[in-house]
Amino acid sequence: MPFWLKIFSKSPFKPMIEHGKIVKETVETLELAVVEWYKQNYDEMEKLCGRVDQLEKEADKIKESIRDSLSHRIMMPVSRNDVLLYLYYQDKIADTAQDVAKWLPLRKHKDLLPEELRKIILEMAKESIDAVRGVYDGIAQLDIVLESGFNEQEIEKEYEIIKKVEMVESKIDKYVSYILNYVFQHDDEMKYSEAIYILSLSRLLSSISDKAKDSVERIRQMLARS
Amino acid sequence: MEFLIVLTLLIGFFMTWGIGANDTANSMSTAVGAKAITPMQAVVIAAILEFTGSYFFGKHVTETIRKGIINPQVINNATVVIYGSLAALLSAGVWLLIASYYGLPVSTTHSIIGGIVGYGLIYAGPKIVNWHKLFYVVLSWIVSPILGGLVGFAVFWLIRYSILNTDKPFENAKKWAPFWISLAFFIVGMTFYIKTVHGKDILKAGLFGIAFATVAFLVSKIWMHVHKDSADEYRAVENIFKRVQVLTSCYVALAHGANDVANAIGPVAAVYTAIKGGLSGFMVPVPKWILAYGGIGIAVGVTTYGYRVMRTVGSRITELTNTRGFSIDFAAASVVLVASRLGLPISTTHTVVGAVVGVGLARGLNAINKGVLRDIVISWFVTVPVAAIMAAVFFKIFMHIL
Repeated sequence: MPFWLKIFSKSPFKPMIEHGKIVKETVETLELAVVEWYKQNYDEMEKLCGRVDQLEKEADKIKESIRDSLSHRIMMPVSRNDVLLYLYYQDKIADTAQDVAKWLPLRKHKDLLPEELRKIILEMAKESIDAVRGVYDGIAQLDIVLESGFNEQEIEKEYEIIKKVEMVESKIDKYVSYILNYVFQHDDEMKYSEAIYILSLSRLLSSISDKAKDSVERIRQMLARS
Repeated sequence: MEFLIVLTLLIGFFMTWGIGANDTANSMSTAVGAKAITPMQAVVIAAILEFTGSYFFGKHVTETIRKGIINPQVINNATVVIYGSLAALLSAGVWLLIASYYGLPVSTTHSIIGGIVGYGLIYAGPKIVNWHKLFYVVLSWIVSPILGGLVGFAVFWLIRYSILNTDKPFENAKKWAPFWISLAFFIVGMTFYIKTVHGKDILKAGLFGIAFATVAFLVSKIWMHVHKDSADEYRAVENIFKRVQVLTSCYVALAHGANDVANAIGPVAAVYTAIKGGLSGFMVPVPKWILAYGGIGIAVGVTTYGYRVMRTVGSRITELTNTRGFSIDFAAASVVLVASRLGLPISTTHTVVGAVVGVGLARGLNAINKGVLRDIVISWFVTVPVAAIMAAVFFKIFMHIL
């Protein structure tokens, strides 16, 4: 084997974009499932939840192959630790989406939760997509930053993407506090299981944008060291 | 005697084949890997320019190695030169073959030096070896990659700050590409003057270089009239450097020819002249037909084995972009041309590897495998001793049976 093939290891960035694409698809599918949940089309919802499961496994496979290719002997233009952490968080997004998909069907065909809360869950799912799309844009932009030899304009664009993701995250945080307050103010009207259900669902949904924020935070770290 | 000439030519052919198969493929792989040229084009460029490089620029290096590394005055028997050179050639060829098999980029120069030292030692003991010259060789293990690395780092750094990290990368690429092309031609022009016209005046050499550079600048200015067809600014920059890299791959082939091809041809010439005219052969210049013969051997090596290597590289390396490939090529070729002009036993391969690391340190490459670097460095350290031991054994065998 010519040494060129060995000295130029496979760059992790293109596969990481690939991984990001699947993670994005996972959350997009989850959002569709939440819409069906809202419309009480439970059969359709369960199909979509199954698809979320599949996509998460796909993302896992890519994550593992990237991780295996990044031995400690690889020299990269950004910190290898940050790259691995980024990958970890990006993958966590899909994991969390999978968790949400597990919770969604638990109360099917039972009494509906208050419309107000159901709407907020729907809204949170929509916003989560924005956060995850931001992550995908972020990793795609990182590839451009590297190709441009750390061009300042490109780095600036990257920071804007990161800011957007952070804004979505803080917006979703507000939804969570709203649900928290609602549940504790209406604790005598709500069943124990209803409260657990809605609190967990909102927590898990907000965790998606948390992980999205953690991911882009790693990109910020990679660039801060440049 | 006729038999010996045929044998020399055969073994010499084996060695030039090895240079074409291993070394040429290694030094031209960046251009192929960055998709600037196809493997087929690389073969044509290598065949023509390696030959040109050795024919016009190469003689100086040949003599340094033949006369420098062991002291010919100690040898008073022509058969020793003949069998010794044969043994050195054979051991270098075999070592190159082994290294190619394991994918290690060893130095042709150091293989042949090891071979010569090996037979010298077995014939006359340590006193025959010009130890301070050998020290320079050992020094070049360190100097070649460091120089390659520094220049590679600098070239990519300059490209970053003059082109990539600007508001208008594409416009700046069009502006700066002719500068790099003419700088390459400046070095080629100076080398051409010194090696071919045999001028001593460094000022005249400079003027010669400037003349070359000016023509190259004007021609490339016209050649750079390209329009941005791609929406992506950086793709457009890479496409400009793709053009430039076509020229740099010629530059690499030329520099490699000037520096390394003579490694095989030198010993062949030594044997040939020793057979024809006894020991005075040390003073006789390399016959032109032997140079041509060496060129053919390289062409065959590139076509038969090097082509395959480059095709694999071309299809498997997807990460190397043209600005990076250019930085590596340009650094390696410039260092080799300048160093070979100074008569240093510099290794093209080591310089290329150094340049790769240099561009990597300038944060130009996405993933370099440091583990492979370690293997490569180890292979450099064992090249001289292994080639020496093999040559010593071959020499003993030849002296017994022939």
